[in-house]
Amino acid sequence: MKPTVDKLIDQMQSLFKDLVAGDIMVPNVVSISPDRTMEQAKELMRLKKISGLPVVDAEKLVGLVSIEDIIKALEQHKILEKIAHHMSCRLVVIHPEENLPQIFEKFTRHGFGRFPVVDSQQKLVGIITKEDILRSILEEFRVLYVRDKRRTDVLDGDDVHRSLITGEEINKLGADFAFAVDYVEVSLSGIGAARLKEFLLSKNLGEEIARKVAIATYEAETNVVIHSGSPGNIYCFLYPDSVRVRVEDHGKGIEDLEIAMQEGYSTASDQVREMGFGAGMGISNMRRYSDKMVMVSEVGKGVILEMEFFRTQPTA
Amino acid sequence: MNLGKVVEILEAKVFSGEEKLGDLEIERVGAADMMSDVLAFAKPGMLLITGLNTPQVVRTASIVGIAAVVVVRKKTIPDETVQAGKMFGIPLLHSPLAMYTACGRLYRESLKDINSF
Repeated sequence: MKPTVDKLIDQMQSLFKDLVAGDIMVPNVVSISPDRTMEQAKELMRLKKISGLPVVDAEKLVGLVSIEDIIKALEQHKILEKIAHHMSCRLVVIHPEENLPQIFEKFTRHGFGRFPVVDSQQKLVGIITKEDILRSILEEFRVLYVRDKRRTDVLDGDDVHRSLITGEEINKLGADFAFAVDYVEVSLSGIGAARLKEFLLSKNLGEEIARKVAIATYEAETNVVIHSGSPGNIYCFLYPDSVRVRVEDHGKGIEDLEIAMQEGYSTASDQVREMGFGAGMGISNMRRYSDKMVMVSEVGKGVILEMEFFRTQPTA
Repeated sequence: MNLGKVVEILEAKVFSGEEKLGDLEIERVGAADMMSDVLAFAKPGMLLITGLNTPQVVRTASIVGIAAVVVVRKKTIPDETVQAGKMFGIPLLHSPLAMYTACGRLYRESLKDINSF
């Protein structure tokens, strides 16, 4: 294997290393007691549109009813008998702390479509299907850290006028809203975000999305003021189904984005902290409130951040 | 509970938003000193108790939709913050109580936190 591929795999693994069954599983699982009949299990599965039903006795997982079990019971005219006699007792379970490779291994080895998640007391805490895994991975990818040629293109070259999220051309002069972050006083931070909120409200986008955009932009604006050591710009573009915000500066840049993205990590000064910032929550707050976010940076070349917010309410 | 009652309970002085004391109903309260915590967790319409008295507090409050701000621990609220409060229409109160006591007194009056229903 080429060294570059090794490196890539290392990076991918570090991206997903914190992803464990507890995060992936869907909690609050529908379950049934072994005293009920197969007929009742069938009805519950039909109503909830599920193909496997965990059987729980005194809070402990004791079995699983699959569609196959239902069919068998129907064929043998035993559908009115108790679940206890017809459920699958050969259980393969996942524990909340198992990581992605361990979970994959179980899916591949056993070929089941779903696995119950139980804690150390064998109590059912969730269920994992392949769709749940896919969803969790996509969620992790929501923040893309592009550590390749694209980054150099964006920061050095002509690509400054291309969207980081879609790659399509953007005309910053034609932005629906623009604000120059031209101050260095932390106490002034948030003015751009507050104006943007007013602007969005004036366009009737609705309080909810205006608030989300403003909060994420506030954090971005504060980062420009606290960390870049340079002026910056906020641009906002309105699209029929989304709002996109781009924040640029030309300052110090970020040495290691992965570290910077960890909640609680901050390089802010004591003075900044006294003003209530520098808790290391900026980037995680941007992630929390945006639907898509891409950030590129290199030391000495500034930071370009793009966030997209999906519009839930139609334009009035 | 209306904001006027909050002023009474917290022995507070009103720096801006006097006109809202009678009408503004408060149901939820949160306390924080880190602006990012407020941005992350605040609920629209809540009352914020904080040890910060910079204009930032007002801007943050306006962005997340906080109804009113109570400043504790500091001696007073500076002019520029008061101006910001007037501009954004956010009532600013100053209470001489410790943050813990201010929270405790409001909790005793059955005001809720940001997560309860």
